[in-house]
This record gives sequence, structure tokens and C-alpha cells, in this order.
Amino acid sequence: MQFALDEDRALLARSTRELLEKEAPLATNRQIMESEPSGYSKALFRQLGELGYPSLLLSEDEGGLGPIAFAAVLQEMGRVALPGPFLDLALAIKLLAGSSEDAAKKWLARASAGEALVVLARGESLASGDPSAASARFTNGRVQGLKRFVPFGAEADAWIVETSSGLALVERPTSGWNAKALPTIDHAQRFAELVLDTPGVLLCDAAAARGVLDDVDRLGALGASALLLGLSERALEITVAYTMERQAFGVPIASFQALQHRAADMLLQTESTRAAVYRAAFAAEHQPEQAAYLIAVAKAWAGPAARLVCGEAVQMHGGVGFTWEYDPHVYLKRVKTLEQFYGSTRAQLDRVLHARGW
Amino acid sequence: MDLRFTPEQEKFRAEVRAWLGANLERPWSQEVRDPKHDASSLVEVRRAWQKKLLAAGFLGMGWPREWGGRGATAIEEAIFTEELYRADAPQVPNFLGISLLCPALIHHGTEEQRRRFIPKILDCSEIWCQGFSEPGSGSDLASLRARAEPDGEHFRIYGQKVWTTFGPWADWIFVLARTDMEDRYGGITFFLMPIAQKGVEMRGIRQITGESEFGEVFFDGGLARREHIVGKIGEGWKVAMTLLGYERGGSTLAYPAEYDRYLGGLADGLRENGTLARADVREKLARLVVENEVMRGNGMRNLANIASGNAPGAESSIEKIFWSEYAKRLTDTALDLLGPQAQLRDTQPQARPDVNWAYEFLWSRAGTIYSGSSEIQRNIIAKRVLRMPTK
Repeated sequence: MQFALDEDRALLARSTRELLEKEAPLATNRQIMESEPSGYSKALFRQLGELGYPSLLLSEDEGGLGPIAFAAVLQEMGRVALPGPFLDLALAIKLLAGSSEDAAKKWLARASAGEALVVLARGESLASGDPSAASARFTNGRVQGLKRFVPFGAEADAWIVETSSGLALVERPTSGWNAKALPTIDHAQRFAELVLDTPGVLLCDAAAARGVLDDVDRLGALGASALLLGLSERALEITVAYTMERQAFGVPIASFQALQHRAADMLLQTESTRAAVYRAAFAAEHQPEQAAYLIAVAKAWAGPAARLVCGEAVQMHGGVGFTWEYDPHVYLKRVKTLEQFYGSTRAQLDRVLHARGW
Repeated sequence: MDLRFTPEQEKFRAEVRAWLGANLERPWSQEVRDPKHDASSLVEVRRAWQKKLLAAGFLGMGWPREWGGRGATAIEEAIFTEELYRADAPQVPNFLGISLLCPALIHHGTEEQRRRFIPKILDCSEIWCQGFSEPGSGSDLASLRARAEPDGEHFRIYGQKVWTTFGPWADWIFVLARTDMEDRYGGITFFLMPIAQKGVEMRGIRQITGESEFGEVFFDGGLARREHIVGKIGEGWKVAMTLLGYERGGSTLAYPAEYDRYLGGLADGLRENGTLARADVREKLARLVVENEVMRGNGMRNLANIASGNAPGAESSIEKIFWSEYAKRLTDTALDLLGPQAQLRDTQPQARPDVNWAYEFLWSRAGTIYSGSSEIQRNIIAKRVLRMPTK
């Protein structure tokens, strides 16, 4: 038994941290969140594409490194609250890699190189982050319908749209579509509401789509859990650092037991998330029979745990924790999105019981 | 990264499981609800079980071969304990002797002490208890005041010990007492004493479960022989810290295995009551399943780290907080969801047939207090891991 990453993956994690600390520290990311109309740095995403990051989730045969490496990279992106559609792009690439359609191959090549953004367009409800049966239609080569909470939907060059007839690839047309922003509290992820009446190519029928989407949903939950791990880890670090600096009654507030016990709980939650995320990632790579269950466990744990940790980060910063200027709120807001999408906590809890036969 | 057990480890697990299938007559939760038993006859069931484990070579597996060990790895020990908990096997009566005193004797004892005490600990002909805590010294153990007064070459012990687990059935006690009243750490010495002697009185303390599983000991000049001091005079604190370091090893996968069995019992009960399909019930059950599985993940990580040669650090504090606080949430929720049936005493025929919920609910209150309370564990994490300063 060994928990530590092997040499290749440890090196990848280290070089990713160095890259992000240089190119995308939180201060830079916050400027982009507030001033960049697309909500992310396209230059950085091109760089990530050149380095092969977007196709990391693919198996080693397909030119990727697999789920463990993927989790290690997303953990790093969580630490800096990286804005942008990295996870969404990786999931679309995974889906495209499984299709033999020409259109899929073309977009796979462009998306993998970081030249194009492809995202999934699935949900239709305002009341749930978990897509239910699609009412968008695919008829006579056209996709028609309404899609909501499409991640970076207004920025994407192509969408993979879930319709009642299956998954359809839609290239961003010049007309026949309409996007409205659905801005949530999260600064790092933009969402759009899409109204489509556009040409598309069916990638697979509804029956085949179910299997494909189950796979993508699992990997999405794993990726979101790894982001949540990175967010928790960094929120704890900045909070402890703040309590060491901040003085009250002539001593650092870190010396107060009330705060020490809160911080200890944050560590317990974060370290438990780490164990759960990598156990799930290991299963996704090596133990397929356990992967669905362990990924559901990881996501159902990581969301509430990160919310607790990042909520405590706000609390332990005191008044400045409630200001726009300080960072804890960026983490807390990011957590809320990741908790509700990529398989909400409630959906994961259902999966857990289902897997146990209860 | 590899979180799988090796084929050899899986083979060992299969052997343990087969042995338990052939040798465990009935689960402990069934044993305790047999009306023919009282507290003392249950101790005899446990004594007989310990002898079976000894004969099969399962006691002190990680010790040197000379002392009955088989050089088992930490992972094998964890697998073994996990299987014991999964099967609901009785706890051996001499768990304090085996898990605490024997390692102390192996590390700090004399050859004579090892020969005199270890065989009788293993065959359970002498049951041991621990005399550390005092009415005024719990979490702050080093403030203990029991004193050892020289009497010729030996010592006489005066003072009181409390929360003496298994004391009412014990034959011997290992005691921390002061040979120097001023020196906080260096004034403590580690004594081994028989309980059946003048000047030592053991009294049971009735617990919230109704039983007297622990006791208090009054020392009024009981004899502690010089040859029964472990380590040197004044080294008691060092010896005690060595053995407390052993206290939380090995069981890292055991609690999740036990709680998984409880969760199965809870799901069965909910299905029988027709409430398993209710959304509110499902959410509560699912959260408990998730938390227990995360605990198991923590355990696997700890085990993997120990197997890679890293000394366990703050992980043991996280583990202690996790399992003890989880046990409260689990039993609280079970009593809530299963209704008053779960409050029935386990000897009632109408009680739930598998888990002794009422007892476990009450017993779970102890876990966050003993062996370093949750508050102490949080202090340890804050200071040793997060490096937060003391005022």
C-alpha cells in the first residue's frame, strides 16, 4: 500500500503548482474574474493546451495520464480558485474521445490543443444542478430547446447538447441561438442560458448517451471533488496564516483555543477530503467495480466539508472576512457552485445508497 | 499510489476470516444478550476467547518472535483487527496488558520482568489494568500526585487512581506514582503491583450504561517491589509515553468495519419498519454511510503511510476525533430513526436482534472523553500540525 503519488504524477503536481503560482496566482485570478468579459484567461488556457493539460483525463493509451493525475492537477487549480472552464473542457474532451463521428474527431483535436472551447449543455431547470430527462429535441438535423447553467456557454465554440434523442454536437452558429448570462455568486465560473434552434450532429442515441454520461458524470464528480480539496487546503492555509499575524489583547489570535479548535476541525475535514478524493481517483483508474461508489462518497463528503472549511475561513478572518477585498469569500462562493453541480450532494447521497443496495 | 492489498495480504485476510468462521461460536452482541450470563461469566467468555487467539498465534503478532510474535506487518495487524470487528468477536480481557504493558516491557523492561509477566498476560492467567488517571489529573496527566515512599529497597504507594478500565476484574495494575514531588516529568516512576494486597483497594464505579467496567483504586501503603519498576526510577513518564504511542495503532480499519456492521443493522431495521424509502430517512442514512467510508479512507491512508515507514503523527488525533464523534452521530441517528425499539435493553426479546443500540448509544458518550478527549485531540492538531502558538 502506498498513498503518495508516484514520481511522474508527483512531478506533474509540482510543476502545475509552479506554473499556476507564476501565471495564475489568486491576485491575478481575481482581476480576471472582475474585469475579463469572458471570465477567464484565454492566454493561460492556450498555454495549458500546449502543455497537454486538457486531455489529461484520457487514459495513457489515448494520450492522457488518467484520473489520479487529473485529480492532482485539479487540486492545484482549486488552490488558486482558477477561473475558467478547465473541468468542463476536460469532460467534453473525454466524451469526444469516445465518439467515432468525424465532427467529434475534429473538435477533439482543437479542444485538446486548447484552441477551442467545447462544453456540455445539459440542465434545463433553474431548481437543480442535476440534469433530468432532456426536453430539448433533435429532429431533422436540428437542435431545438432551452439549456440552463451551461458552463461558459456563451464563450464556447461548440456545445454537446443533451436532447431527448441523444447527444448532439452543435458548432456555435452565426444565428439561431441566443445566450443570456446566468451569473451566480461564484466568480470563477460563468453560466449561460442557451436558446437553440440550430443545426447539429448526433453523436450517439439516447440509450448510448446514458452510458457515456454516467462515465462523464463520475469523472466530473471526481474533478469537482479534487477542486474542493484544493479550495479547502488553501482556505485553511490562509486562515491559519491570518490568525498568526492578527493581534488582539496583545497576542496573535492563533493562540486562542476557540480558534485553534475551529482550525483543527478544518484540518480534519480537509485531510479526510484528501483521503476520500485520492481513494476515489485510485478506484477510477484501477478498481472500476468500486469507482462509482467511492466517487459518490468523495463528492458527497467534499462539498459539505469544503463549505464548512471555507465558511470558517470567513468567520475566522472576522470583519475583514466579510469584505470584498479579502479572499475567503472567493473560496466560499466557488465551493457553493461545485457543491451544486457535477452531481449535487443530494444526488451523490442517492448514488451511495443505491450502490449499497439500500 | 496503490491502495490495494497485495495477494499475500488478501490471502492472510481469507485465512483469518476462515479461522473466525470456524472458531467464533457466536457474535459478542448475541453473547451479551444471553440471560444465562452475568458480568463475571462474560469475562470468562472473553478469557476463553483470548486463549483461543493465543493458541492460534494471533496475539502480539507484531512483536519479536521471542515473545510470541510472528513479525507481522502493520497492515497484517490492521487486517486481523478489522476482521475481528467485522465478525463481532469478543474483546480480549487483557487488552491493556497486551496493547500497552507488553510493548512497554519489550522496550523498557528487564529480561526477568518479561519472563515473569508476558506469558501470563498472553494466557490471561493475570489480567492487567492501568493506574494513570487520578481524580485531579486526567488530560493533564503529568500533574498526578500519587506518591511512592521508600520502604527499605521497595516502595509504598499512597494516593488514588480512577477510571481504571477493567479494574474490577484485574489481578495486577501498572501505576504511575511520584518518587519526587517537585520534578513534573522526571519525578514519575512506573510500578507494577498486584491488586490483592493490604493497602490496595479496588472499587467498581457504576457507569451510565449501568455496568462497572471501570473502577477506582485507593492506595494506602500498598507494596511496590523494586524489581517491578519498569525503566529506572524517574523514567516513568518516558515509559508511559512509549506505551501510549502504541495505543492507537493497528485498529485503523477496525472501527469502520464495526460501524459498517451497525449501518447494515440500521438499514435492516428501517426496511422492516417501512421507512427506508422515506427521503428524510435516506438522507440521514446516506450521510452516515459516506462518513464511515471516508473514515475508512483515512484509515487506509494512515496504514499506507505506516507501511511506507512513516511514524504516525497527527493522523492518530484525526482518527480518534473522527471515530469517537461519528459513533455519537451514528447511534443518535439510529435511535432517532428506529424509534423506541432501539432503546430496549438488549436482553429484551423485542429488542433489535443485531446491534445493541441502547448500549452503544450510551457507550459512545465515553469515546470522546477517554484516551485523550476530543478537546485534547484538537489542541494536539492545532499545536503540532498547524503550529498555532500557545499563549
